[in-house]
Amino acid sequence: MLLRTEQLTKHYGPITALDRLDLEIVPGEIVGILGPNGSGKSTALRLMLGFLRPSAGRASINGHDCWDDSVNARTHVSYLPGELRLYENMTGRQLIEFLSRLRQYALDERMPQLARTFDIDIDRPLAQMSSGMKRKIALMQVLLPQTPLVILDEPTNTLDPSMRDQLLDQLRASAQRGQAVLFSSHVLTEVEHVCDRVAILQCGRLVHWQDMRALRSVRRVDVQLSRAIDGLAAPAFVKALQVNGLNMQFEHTGPLPELLRWLAELPIAELNIEPMGLANIYQHYHRMNGTTP
Amino acid sequence: MTWALTRKLLRDIRIAWVVVAVLLFLFQILWARITMRVTTQIFAALGQFGVTRQAVMRILFNQGEPGQSPEMLGQMVQAIIGGENIAIDKAGDLMSVSYVHPLVLSILCIWAIGRAANAIAGEIDRGTMELLLAQPIRRTQVVLAHLLVDAIVFPTICAVMWFGTYCGTWWMGLQAAEGNQHVDPWRFVPALLCVSMLLLSVSGVTMAISALGRSRARVWGWAVTLFLGMFLVNVFGQIWPEALDWLRPFTLHYHYQPQNLIKADRWYASGAVWFHLVVLALYGFGGYLTAWITFCRRDRPAPL
Repeated sequence: MLLRTEQLTKHYGPITALDRLDLEIVPGEIVGILGPNGSGKSTALRLMLGFLRPSAGRASINGHDCWDDSVNARTHVSYLPGELRLYENMTGRQLIEFLSRLRQYALDERMPQLARTFDIDIDRPLAQMSSGMKRKIALMQVLLPQTPLVILDEPTNTLDPSMRDQLLDQLRASAQRGQAVLFSSHVLTEVEHVCDRVAILQCGRLVHWQDMRALRSVRRVDVQLSRAIDGLAAPAFVKALQVNGLNMQFEHTGPLPELLRWLAELPIAELNIEPMGLANIYQHYHRMNGTTP
Repeated sequence: MTWALTRKLLRDIRIAWVVVAVLLFLFQILWARITMRVTTQIFAALGQFGVTRQAVMRILFNQGEPGQSPEMLGQMVQAIIGGENIAIDKAGDLMSVSYVHPLVLSILCIWAIGRAANAIAGEIDRGTMELLLAQPIRRTQVVLAHLLVDAIVFPTICAVMWFGTYCGTWWMGLQAAEGNQHVDPWRFVPALLCVSMLLLSVSGVTMAISALGRSRARVWGWAVTLFLGMFLVNVFGQIWPEALDWLRPFTLHYHYQPQNLIKADRWYASGAVWFHLVVLALYGFGGYLTAWITFCRRDRPAPL
């Protein structure tokens, strides 16, 4: 197990920022943490990096306790902060070189390659870079060391759409090399596209684990009937059926032909079939006012 | 790893470092000129009006007969220019005032406070501590790197300050002068021990405050209030000894007595000199120790 948290808890006075989080990540896995502001995402990541002392429970990376043996734990992690602040008196190259000296790894030809991929001039002073360009530099310093675990706190903030795709590709490539990636995000689509598993946090508690492969196999079907049907008999593959007048919604898992055969027997005015998606699950846990259902 | 961080910290402060060194150098040149003017031209000019050196000394330092000279003025002058045995008609004595002059003390304290306030609270304030501590580096190494920076910077500041004394006294002809006008710049070298201990003490105490805080401005505020308070307690303790003298040993400024090292031939044989130096060092290293313990135990808060 690369990363493990056991009953990880953090209190700030009377406020519980994170409540008994149990999490396990294995090499080669991409895990997303979703949740609204104040749900405990950043607190969880900061506990894993040894920035915060747990109030209870523990977190460990490759068997090294994240607080008591923090340095060894951080040897296995590279981290992109959510609120990105860099040394403005350096150029991008100087920053990457400085951090590589602290991490004690040798920079190779991957640095210029990655700079070309990200389309960034690393010899430019950071003070003269836009926030998106700074984020690219910060992403380079995260990706270059090829640590077993990569932790990213809202990594696509301030990135343009093409750069966001580039980053997601890089994360997939990292996972294929055997690195594990843990990232928090507000953007459901990017989490859907890249993650293997997703943890949904709410008010500091882990409320749902979602296996994305299982989720991708589920379809959400929305049917508008042209006339009412008496005694509609739904087959076994139709799940969570909701009928509201002429409108019918359900979930489907399995081969598409059987679904289409059944639908062909119905008086359909409109039909919409789409992958289930995280949005429905996320909304289930974070309804309008963000309270637990 | 610590050295990589130390080099980066030195790089960050290089401009301020040069500015402080140049200011101290120039002040020594300026003070050498003032010393030359006072000990030669001004006393000569006063003599033309019948004012003797003895009269000036009596007025300024209360060295006349008891009850005849203004006591308060003598105490105030002593409080401001330091030392209790300063004879301003002697160039060497007057030159030594440049090491306790409020402007020099201010420059030294501003440097030490500014750097230490930036060290931890400033780095948290700017948000760069998060980037730094995400690397596999011990918090101990961060504090150690700052101590190393002090160990490199303080001697250079002291050396430049002394070089200013050397150049100034040479330029103004005080090294070649005879009698009371003669200044031997080498006698100022031991005083640098005192200067570096003052810097260490201010830096150490501010570092302890910095390790507790997360806002550079607040650390600045607390440190300036503390050291200004100490300075005032020391000055007022000299002016009203019956009321405040007991408080003076608790101030850094009371223990900063470079003139004792400049004026005494065998300063190293004096227990009082070593006592004051040790107290300053204890403030400094105690501050660093407190900073280390605090910083290693505390949560690293998110940037403001």
